[in-house]
Amino acid sequence: MTTLLTLKKLIHKTFDIDPATLDPQAPLADYGLDSLSLAELLFVVEDEFHIDFSEMPKDVNTLADLALLIDELPIKQAA
Amino acid sequence: MRRRVVVSGIGLISPLGDTPEQVFEAAMSGRSAIRLWNDDPLATAQESASVSAPAVVARAPFDVTRFFAKLQLTGVDRVSQMAVAAGQLAKQDAGLEILDVDAGLYVGTSMGGAAALEQSYANFFDGRRIPPLTIPSFIPNASASHLAMREKLHGPVLTYSMACASSAIAIAEAAKAISRGDITMALAGGSEALLVPGVLSAWQSLRTLADPGDDPARACRPFSSTRSGLVLGEGAIFLLMETLESAQARGARIYAEIAGIGFSCDATHLTKPDAAGQVRAIKAALRDSALSPSDIGYCNAHGTATLVGDLVECDALAQVWGSNLSRLQVSSTKSIHGHLLGAGGALEAALTVMALSNRAVPPNMHCADQDPNCPVNLIREPHHQAPHLTAAISNSFAFGGSNVVLVFRNHA
Repeated sequence: MTTLLTLKKLIHKTFDIDPATLDPQAPLADYGLDSLSLAELLFVVEDEFHIDFSEMPKDVNTLADLALLIDELPIKQAA
Repeated sequence: MRRRVVVSGIGLISPLGDTPEQVFEAAMSGRSAIRLWNDDPLATAQESASVSAPAVVARAPFDVTRFFAKLQLTGVDRVSQMAVAAGQLAKQDAGLEILDVDAGLYVGTSMGGAAALEQSYANFFDGRRIPPLTIPSFIPNASASHLAMREKLHGPVLTYSMACASSAIAIAEAAKAISRGDITMALAGGSEALLVPGVLSAWQSLRTLADPGDDPARACRPFSSTRSGLVLGEGAIFLLMETLESAQARGARIYAEIAGIGFSCDATHLTKPDAAGQVRAIKAALRDSALSPSDIGYCNAHGTATLVGDLVECDALAQVWGSNLSRLQVSSTKSIHGHLLGAGGALEAALTVMALSNRAVPPNMHCADQDPNCPVNLIREPHHQAPHLTAAISNSFAFGGSNVVLVFRNHA
């Protein structure tokens, strides 16, 4: 399963937002996510992907940003 | 000049129901909402087992989906969810679509987001990660802030924590602010949601909780010689309060007028109540309302059903009413809705206000054998009519020795 698809399912499960309405390029704020719900989302993302954002990621505005961050993270951690 | 203050809306998420009519009907019928903790729909089997001894609770039925989408629930503890719901219901009951941005919000709570805090401790001691929104969920003023955001209130938004008197003092403070002209309207009440195993066990450890006995629904028996302690409950209750002038100008239905408030501190002991302190609060409230004891037809007693608490309250009432004590009708409605702690004063104020507007007194249930050392005129039968009732008091006597007495009178 692609990262993006998994993220959409997580967002549906956590916030009950219809995955079909989620545009990866649209700001997450457009779906009603604020800084607190983003913190909650990152927490469940860490659990789901078995990763650790050692500090609060910056510049995560869209779903695509988040997917990229997740896909790049293991490489960064290995480096 | 002092302005007159009335109650024109009641919003409740309570063990007895979520509309004023439903709640008052349940109270008048003496229908108990108290159940075994093991039968509680929200307690998991593991949680039920983790409480050291059998316990009874009064859970408030609450369908959160009526008031929140799932996304809105992020970081919102049950205590705040119920507060937002009850505040909205009070506004609607008052016939208002929106509240003025300058309206006040006065909220009592004793523990804030108890479930969020408990979950974080459980995770911590289990070596698991702590949910990131624990702190914003738990902070005791979160209920007030969530309700303020929902109703767009920019005026005084204040939180009071005085154990069992928290929401009574919130109502008193709102009444003062309206009366002296700071604000015209306020939502005032409280919210409490602490029915989680750790908190329940801590209360058990204090040895103040009722023995469930053979019939859990009858476990709370205020003023009975067989009383065995209090029963914890949950809920959120708000009154919409405004000046008499404002209510009349918009043609609002008026439940009752707030005639006076009084408070005092025992300053003697943290948990053992003191009759002298309670007498000071009652006398202050009567003085503030310019009423004499014989004007008061009903007392919604604090009556938690602890051994000492009920005795001391009867002593205080006897000291103030003297030879008129038998003319004062008394009941503790905690017998059926339990002790809502930070929201208790507001639920009991709401019941007192409805008693006045319906001219009927809700019963003190489960007291077939009244303690001879509690010689007050207990109303023990359901559906008791009180056609001559014109003024009533609601007592809240809290841990910490904090006493608050509210006096209401019929407006009509």
